Amino acid sequence: MLETLNQTTFLHTVVAIGSFTIFTIGLVGVLSKKNLFKIFLSLSIVESSLFLFFIGSHFEVGKAAPIVADGIKLFDGHMVDPVPQAMILTTIVIGVAVLALSLTFVVNYYRLSGNIDIDKMDELGEVQ
Amino acid sequence: MSLKKTVGLKTILTALLISFMSMLLLGVIMNAAYTHTSLGYDLLKINTISTQSANAVTSVVTYFRGLDTLGEVTILFLSIFGIGIGIERSDRMKTILGYDSTLLKIGTKVLFPLIVLFGLYIIAHGHLSPGGGFQGGVIIASGFLLMFLAYGDSYDLDHKVLSLFEALSGAGFILVGILAALAGGAFLGNMLPLGVLGKLFSSGILPIIYIFVGLKVAAEITVLVEYFIRTQDARDA
Repeated sequence: MLETLNQTTFLHTVVAIGSFTIFTIGLVGVLSKKNLFKIFLSLSIVESSLFLFFIGSHFEVGKAAPIVADGIKLFDGHMVDPVPQAMILTTIVIGVAVLALSLTFVVNYYRLSGNIDIDKMDELGEVQ
Repeated sequence: MSLKKTVGLKTILTALLISFMSMLLLGVIMNAAYTHTSLGYDLLKINTISTQSANAVTSVVTYFRGLDTLGEVTILFLSIFGIGIGIERSDRMKTILGYDSTLLKIGTKVLFPLIVLFGLYIIAHGHLSPGGGFQGGVIIASGFLLMFLAYGDSYDLDHKVLSLFEALSGAGFILVGILAALAGGAFLGNMLPLGVLGKLFSSGILPIIYIFVGLKVAAEITVLVEYFIRTQDARDA
């Protein structure tokens, strides 16, 4: 039973469904919440689903992390691809930077207008 | 008034459309064929001769794609710079989140040097084990966050030292790249002896770059945490 579950394609499917679920949670948050703060945090949830999908879809059964450690003596085909991991490392850092910058915009917007509800924004003259 | 809730035709159609599109997207995601490019395996093959780093991710981040890391650090710096412009820094700034607890204060006094030491260890061993500059830098910044939470306004951070660390490590990164270019290689190429795989002093230029990156990230995330925890409470304005 466990052998059949321990297949690369099956685990890729699990990763796809799981990250798709997280993506949907974030998307629902972006579309349904009225609070600017919560919208940006939902965007960050969407981002984390992309990280999971990218890393998870490059996992293969029987392959180790690309690090020479106790049991592994040399670099060869028994390791997973290091390029996606390095790329996601870059993406995480940039995601943190952009999230922090956008939350600063939210704080400043609230300080200037006293409003954080996107339905009540009327800076462009579109009074509801 | 009837208890039955009426649902419009438009709502039903929208729900059907959304679910159909979701199924379609899920099908696309699950049937995606992962084409295995040979790039990663080629990099793994030449990793031993070109970097001698035990961690292939580190050699991709700091050596094979070192220029990307420079751009990434620049983006982080620009973002923190923008936050510094955006958030009002006045004398009325006070810590808006903190716990006045003696237990936390004493525990933080013990833990803070250990957390910083652990972060430095993670940074310095980035080419040997999982970890590296970004991870260790964030660990050091978490130590400073603990200090902010425990001591509140009475904890004074020396901004001059912090800016000095940030500027010097950023300049050091570029300086190492230029020195490598002058020494005959490419920009951010290797100019130092590679050493033996698995030793602390090995893999040439990689640990130096990661130490600079780690110090820069630590300083920047500390500044970021301070901006957000010591901002004047927006609800009082």
